[in-house]
Amino acid sequence: MSMADEITLTFDGREIRTRAGMSLAAALTEAGVRVFREGPDGAPRGLFCGMGVCQDCLVDVDGRPNRRACMTKAENGLEVRTQIAYPRLVAKAVEHDDPVIEAPDVLIVGGGAGGLSAAITAAEAGAQVLLLDERHIAGGQYYKQRGDAEPPLDRQQAEGHMLFERAQQSGARILDATEVWGAFEGPIFHAIRGDAAVIVRPKVVVVATGAFERPRFVPGWDLPGVMTTGAAQTLWRSYGTLPGRRVAIVGNGPLNFQVADELRAGGAEIVVVAEAATTPWTKAAAATAMMAASPRLTVAGLTTTLRLMRRGVPLHYGTVATAIDGERDGLRVTLRDDAGHISHFEADVVCMNYGFHPQNEILRLLGASFDYDPARAQLICRRSDNCETMVPGLFAVGDCCGLGGAPAAIEEGRIAGCVAVAWVLGREAGVAPAGLRRLARHRRFQKALWTLFAAEPQRFDDIALRAPVCRCEGVNRAEIEGPALEQGIEIGGVKRATRAGMGRCQGRYCAQVLAPKMAAALGRSIDERAFFAPRVPIKPVEIAAILAAEEAGLDVD
Amino acid sequence: MTSIERAVDVAVVGGGITGLAAALALSDQGARVALFDAARHAGSDANAGSLHVQLQSRLLRLFPEEAANVESSLPVYLAAVQAWKVLDRRLGGVELVQKGGLMLAEGPDQLAFLEKKAERELRLGLDVAILDRDELAHLAPWLGDHVIGAELCRDEGKLNPLVANRKLLMALKRAGVAYRRCTVERLEPDALGVRVVHGDGSCRAERVVLATSWGTRALGEALGTIIPVSWEPLHMNITEPADYVIEHLVQHAERPITLKQFQSGQIVIGGGWKARFDSAHGTPEVLEGSVLGNTALAAWLAPGIRNLRVIRTWAGLNTTADGKSIIGPLDAAPRVIVAVPGDAGYTLGPLVGKIVADLALEQAPAFDLAPFRPSRFV
Repeated sequence: MSMADEITLTFDGREIRTRAGMSLAAALTEAGVRVFREGPDGAPRGLFCGMGVCQDCLVDVDGRPNRRACMTKAENGLEVRTQIAYPRLVAKAVEHDDPVIEAPDVLIVGGGAGGLSAAITAAEAGAQVLLLDERHIAGGQYYKQRGDAEPPLDRQQAEGHMLFERAQQSGARILDATEVWGAFEGPIFHAIRGDAAVIVRPKVVVVATGAFERPRFVPGWDLPGVMTTGAAQTLWRSYGTLPGRRVAIVGNGPLNFQVADELRAGGAEIVVVAEAATTPWTKAAAATAMMAASPRLTVAGLTTTLRLMRRGVPLHYGTVATAIDGERDGLRVTLRDDAGHISHFEADVVCMNYGFHPQNEILRLLGASFDYDPARAQLICRRSDNCETMVPGLFAVGDCCGLGGAPAAIEEGRIAGCVAVAWVLGREAGVAPAGLRRLARHRRFQKALWTLFAAEPQRFDDIALRAPVCRCEGVNRAEIEGPALEQGIEIGGVKRATRAGMGRCQGRYCAQVLAPKMAAALGRSIDERAFFAPRVPIKPVEIAAILAAEEAGLDVD
Repeated sequence: MTSIERAVDVAVVGGGITGLAAALALSDQGARVALFDAARHAGSDANAGSLHVQLQSRLLRLFPEEAANVESSLPVYLAAVQAWKVLDRRLGGVELVQKGGLMLAEGPDQLAFLEKKAERELRLGLDVAILDRDELAHLAPWLGDHVIGAELCRDEGKLNPLVANRKLLMALKRAGVAYRRCTVERLEPDALGVRVVHGDGSCRAERVVLATSWGTRALGEALGTIIPVSWEPLHMNITEPADYVIEHLVQHAERPITLKQFQSGQIVIGGGWKARFDSAHGTPEVLEGSVLGNTALAAWLAPGIRNLRVIRTWAGLNTTADGKSIIGPLDAAPRVIVAVPGDAGYTLGPLVGKIVADLALEQAPAFDLAPFRPSRFV
């Protein structure tokens, strides 16, 4: 690191030296900060999702409250403070930057594997393409590029780097750090980039918003130091920061193993990896199917697992977390295996990833149709073979439609990009048959992979009574269980009666267990309407940003 | 599942604020009550808890022909706030705050309009005053400098409708009121009572209270009576919490806005911006223009809120008729008593509920109900 890269900021008056390219969350984590804000009950909260969804890493930055540390770039001289529960109403004069008003042929929302691929295909075919990515670091959650100028860590990051460079060269216009908060019929999109309003009226849209991680609703999952596995991975892969020294990882699926291995190589002590699925070594059929679909990924997964074993990392299969308690100098996670055996591990950080949940807010707002997959407990967007949703001109690719993995997202992005251009130019789409074959293979791999990692999703009835279901409003299962469930009311009624789902994350977590529960209580099948009604803002949006959008709109009209 | 036909003294149709309050008042007087709630699109579920008293500039502007009706209802609004205060104590608190409502003026014309309005309201018994810039800055320092004055109506206030609805429901449960979540399909009146036919079966009642807001049109039509109520989908926004400093209910002399702060510290912004609602089967949808316009107007008037984030918007169905409540038995079916509060229905709900409970139990109501007769539309 050169001296030029060094920056200094303060946290509650304390000086923190860090590097350019860091997020505030990474800089604070590296400096040993675990508590970022106080919750409404005064309880401490810290970094959880690491990707702008959970809203628990809020800090006050230069007098502006409620800034997400994970989505905010660390800059020299910033005065960062713990976010208090009830900030004062002081208008910090915000000068709006000039609005960005665009009418591209193709709007792509999301700059991960699917979005970048769609952008490349569409732009190279001659369409005007605008891609909006909420992160200030390219590549999405799979490619997780580095925040600094260091070379890629490994093949995964190098692939992402190449994809991003190709997208930049394709002629597509890419706006980073741009968060879409509104999607309306038209379609018309509202986003905010720094203090500039971004208003986009595209001809066609490709939604490539990916997924966020499923937690396990256990007592203590809202404690500082508990974070998603993906959040820990971002700290390490994008910012070279370990989430802590001793790390326990609990969850379901291969990401947990990969991140265990990455953090271990980075110098962390992995005290346990607890996998909800039973041991893979007896599932020959699934393993064979995976091998047939992708020998490389299968071997990579196997190698990772064997390396963890060789290094003495305890791998517990058929095991889930049941509680996390704060200890004087860290956390204690309680595990239960499928024989009912209880064990405890102490760690500085508990990482959890129990699979993924599609970020389908834009698709729902614009009226796409969905099917419910009970095995994965999530909504699957209904699409044609061309990745077009049931709404004409609205395409969806990758994990926002239901988890399919990055290789599938790339192929879907190419298909959607190709068809979207044809749509705009009014010509026949020529989707490459080879791409369709590759997509089929990637889907076979995913299917086999999740057969290998098959585990029951946590249901509402499995949740401990004292565990928070809504972490924003601090509503535990017992509080929801009572009068709300007796009445057999729909999910909106539960929200109004208990406040579950009324907080800043907008019900993204609690809806995962409440929707199936309430549908069952009413004797209905689970569909799109079983979830909270889709509403803008897609993410909480500063009133100043809405004002900027309104003023920009007045200029246009 | 079809239930055995049961008999009650009074069936209340509609589980919004009016129906809940009516059921509680009926039960208080010893009546056997069944409450039927379709649990969809109840305006009370989407309400933001303003306690309105002074003439709403929004209504005067939108429906000038109804101004006289609205004005004649002012004493009813005063009584309605008293009914809310009684209910607040009874339920152990619904976060009711009565610090008054401010109607803001940004220019001399608007202030002159408010002065004239205040004169009329004073004559009708409201506790109102005109504030100049300094007085206003003292009460509400978070307002922008361009707000030059306001009318303060000390009778106004706010409450948390989520808490009120929940506590009312709990009180009904404790009182043993039969509460059924099902849609009432039709009413079949005869000489001895009314058969209430609903999704799960039917129920006999001596009398029926129809607290069905805009749904009253369809049920009334089936009984041969035209009650011209319609839905008005309206838009609301809420922010994340902040320090509790906005004590008043805030409105504007000319522009559509309500702004207030809940005890949770969250600021609710509304005031009659449009939403979209196509049919009773769908969900009211939020419109781009309303999100932008309503929130921007709030930020313009109260710059102190600009750094808060809006975390949610929603839309709910307000009910409009002619600016006055519709209260009383149907001429065609005297055992069916309509209970549709006028504009600002949530404010009026508990009072209207109490009045129709009295009517259903054949007691003299506290108000002259002649102006509110359902038959006035014939």
